[in-house]
Amino acid sequence: MADNHDAHGAEGGGGHGHGHGSPFIQHHYDDAKHQFDSGKLGIWFFLTQEILFFSALFVAYILFRAHRPEIFRYAHHYLDVKWGAINTGVLIVSSLTAAWAVRAAQLNQRRILIGCLATTIVCAFGFLGIKYIEYTHKVHEGILFGKKFDPCISSGGAHLITKKNMCEGTKASACSPGDIDQRPDEPGWQVACVAYEVHVKYDMVQGTEDKVTKDPKTGAETTTQVPVTKEQKTEVSRSELPVCQMVSHGAHGPPHPENPPCWEIAQNPNVCKPDEVAALVHYPDEEKRGREVEIDLQCDPAPKATDQGDIFASTSDSGHRFGKPTFVSQSKPSKHDLEMLEAMGPPPEHTNMFFSIYFAMTGLHGIHVLFGIFVFIWLLIRAIKGHFTPEYFGPIDYAALYWHLVDLIWIFLFPLLYLIH
Amino acid sequence: MASTTATAEPNYFEVSKGFKSWALTLDHKRIGLMYLFGILVSLLVGGAFALLVRIELFSPGETITTAQTYNRFFTLHGAVMIFLVIIPGIPAALGNIMLPIQLGAPDVAFPKLNLMSFYLWCTGAALLVLSIIMGSIDTGWTFYTPYSLDPSKSAAIIPAVFGVFVLGFSSIFTGLNFLVTIHKFRPAGMGWFQMPLNLWALYATALMQVLATPVLGITVLLLFVEHTLHIGIFDPTLGGDPVLFQHFFWFYSHPAVYIMIVPAMGVVSELITTFSRKPVFGYRFIAYSSVSLALLAFLVWGHHMFVSGQSALANMVFSALTFTVAIPSAIKVFNWTATLYKGDIRLQTPMLYALSFLILFTIGGLTGLFLAILATDVHLHDTYFVVAHFHYVMMGSGLVAFLGALHYWWPKFTGRMYPERLGQTCAVGVFIGFNLTFLPQFIMGSRGMPRRYWDYDPEFTLFHRLSTIGALILGISLFVTVVYLFASLKLGRKAPQNPWGGSTMEWQAPTPPTLYNFPEPPVLHELYDYSDLVEDGDNGWVRKSEQAKAKAKES
Repeated sequence: MADNHDAHGAEGGGGHGHGHGSPFIQHHYDDAKHQFDSGKLGIWFFLTQEILFFSALFVAYILFRAHRPEIFRYAHHYLDVKWGAINTGVLIVSSLTAAWAVRAAQLNQRRILIGCLATTIVCAFGFLGIKYIEYTHKVHEGILFGKKFDPCISSGGAHLITKKNMCEGTKASACSPGDIDQRPDEPGWQVACVAYEVHVKYDMVQGTEDKVTKDPKTGAETTTQVPVTKEQKTEVSRSELPVCQMVSHGAHGPPHPENPPCWEIAQNPNVCKPDEVAALVHYPDEEKRGREVEIDLQCDPAPKATDQGDIFASTSDSGHRFGKPTFVSQSKPSKHDLEMLEAMGPPPEHTNMFFSIYFAMTGLHGIHVLFGIFVFIWLLIRAIKGHFTPEYFGPIDYAALYWHLVDLIWIFLFPLLYLIH
Repeated sequence: MASTTATAEPNYFEVSKGFKSWALTLDHKRIGLMYLFGILVSLLVGGAFALLVRIELFSPGETITTAQTYNRFFTLHGAVMIFLVIIPGIPAALGNIMLPIQLGAPDVAFPKLNLMSFYLWCTGAALLVLSIIMGSIDTGWTFYTPYSLDPSKSAAIIPAVFGVFVLGFSSIFTGLNFLVTIHKFRPAGMGWFQMPLNLWALYATALMQVLATPVLGITVLLLFVEHTLHIGIFDPTLGGDPVLFQHFFWFYSHPAVYIMIVPAMGVVSELITTFSRKPVFGYRFIAYSSVSLALLAFLVWGHHMFVSGQSALANMVFSALTFTVAIPSAIKVFNWTATLYKGDIRLQTPMLYALSFLILFTIGGLTGLFLAILATDVHLHDTYFVVAHFHYVMMGSGLVAFLGALHYWWPKFTGRMYPERLGQTCAVGVFIGFNLTFLPQFIMGSRGMPRRYWDYDPEFTLFHRLSTIGALILGISLFVTVVYLFASLKLGRKAPQNPWGGSTMEWQAPTPPTLYNFPEPPVLHELYDYSDLVEDGDNGWVRKSEQAKAKAKES
């Protein structure tokens, strides 16, 4: 019976000769129309369940966004609207070709049918390719969900700058000097030793001051210029703080004020050449007084893996491992960055939730795209074999409907995730 | 008689032989039978866990096992019985076999999808077994977060929730298949209101399967990624919301309760009319009430969460909506009772189960109202009162109706009669055992015995002992039932075409049916019209008009 039944299968090939025109009309249907209508109703029910399948995620989105709007306003900046927009376009094109494929099958235009199916597949791969770029970028920068939300510098607004320049390839983690040895050895991974969050920045400014001396005899005043080092207190908003800041994660927590000074190393193309690092020193004594002193050191060649272990030792030995403190000013973020930073501030608590939602929704959608690719490849093979006729084109119609739904879900996801204002 | 023509074509057992002919079959009856076999085995497994739970509770303190193992027992009892037995019981097994035949159709709309559903069911069952091997879950069948997020449980929870996910899709595809079959395969002349009530119930059930199960699917999938990737949507330490899990879970699992009960109502409608030889009273009301139950099912999930920190407004709305469920339920009970009135009632095994259903469902339904009242629910929540209530609905109604339906259609799809006297005895045993198990639990619950506890105060001992004795009677009755049903496949008397005098289309099919069910297109008679049917000794029931025709042919 199995063999007997296989012949009823859509792709079985064998005809039953019940007066059906196409060999793909199964035995238990009255005619081609009966089969087509049943399939169509079936796919509509299937799409209904798909909508409900996604609905829970949309509900989760609505709830989390309603309760914590600041997370969504903040975190969407991590997404790249450009890629999202391109992907929207790609999917819309593929939806068009999918619909066109149905028309081509109805009109028996085999070459157009094959072309449309192939274009749909190419677009689907393009979509996944772009998604791959976006995902790897996020994996690389630690912009993930849950505890894996650990952007390269877990500081406030500094992140957005660093995304573009400052911490390319660096990883911040709270550490005490003893942990220095635990740094990963991979190139580009440097340890940043994180100090407390401060709201007041003290810059040591070198300059001159007019010193007026009054000659007691003549009463004449002479003005001489003497070099002075002044402590300049700058009120800065948190968002303007440079690289080193408090983090709320990590096994060690922020360094204790009693700890000896620690280094922060950041590859900083604005300050240093690509193979150099800038090092920042934090003085816990200053922090104890509620302020942070940051001294930018001269750029030195990036430490090799072999001498990473003794960075700290060497500084305590010579004190000038990275050269003399020269109070090189920090690289200034661009005006645009500053505006963004001003607007954003530090990340709100549980910013990771945005990425839970983001990855759950786009991941599930991506799986649907992947499934669609398999379906369309199967259709393409059958189209090349010439299975589809104006009488029998149901599978293309159903797959196209499915594809439109996948497209439609993306049309909702794109503004909900990327275009938040 | 039609059976003479039927002998010309081999029945669906004879048409092909061998393992492959079953493993790759697209015949809805064979798929249904394979489901049935799996479900009966699962029933014994789930029943064994239930007995272990009851035996442990025979005395306070440790009786046979530790508290930790006890947690696993009740979890496995719940998960197996719900996901593997009751949900697929009537729709996937009996529905699969009977739905196309009741429609006079050759098969379901998508036979391959049907086979795939079965294999998904097998995969899901295998994953549940795997989770037992991997250490076994102890979260209760509800997998409530954040308890179920404990990473030390991951090894068992990952296969378990993935199994439930797969089982969900098995259920969705079965529902989808049935919806399309009922829409597109009704024979000419059978409008929506000429359909047997069983089909109405299966339609309503399928609607819920397609609309509710995907939400369970995504929920357990999120729990799955919670364990594998720590995505954090339900994890409060990462900012997620554990109560959201409860909302999602019950958005499915409340309809799931109706997925268990509505098809039971469908078969009971058939049983009561057939064994009273009376047309169903209030056909349209019963049909509409099935569909309205399916719709209301989606609006009452919040009543599981009255004490989970829902807002007072939400509690009131869900409470009020829950009361409305009583309306369609009561409509059914009144109409069935009215159908019995002055009927020619025959107390054969299926009818005994149907009458048990009427009593048990009434108790189960009415006690549900106690729980829908906000103030009393605070007292009764998570006590044995709730346990007794949902067992009256899910087992006392769902499983009892399944057993009734199984006995009713058993001769049709196996071709063999089960031993009637033994069947009646077991039906009475099930009824007595069931009530003895769960009536004391109502009393315990109202006196504050919490559910899922391994230990209890000594004043509950008597009730727990009665309950355990009842469970043993119930277990023995069910075990004997499964044994005599399997034995009847070899030893049973050959079944006539229409042993009960049923008027619906399936009784026109040969016994057992042929590959495409009907060698000749069946005749559409008026629904539930018994005036034409007469009993003809060992030949079962025949239609007078056809008898006359056959006689005229002979002479």
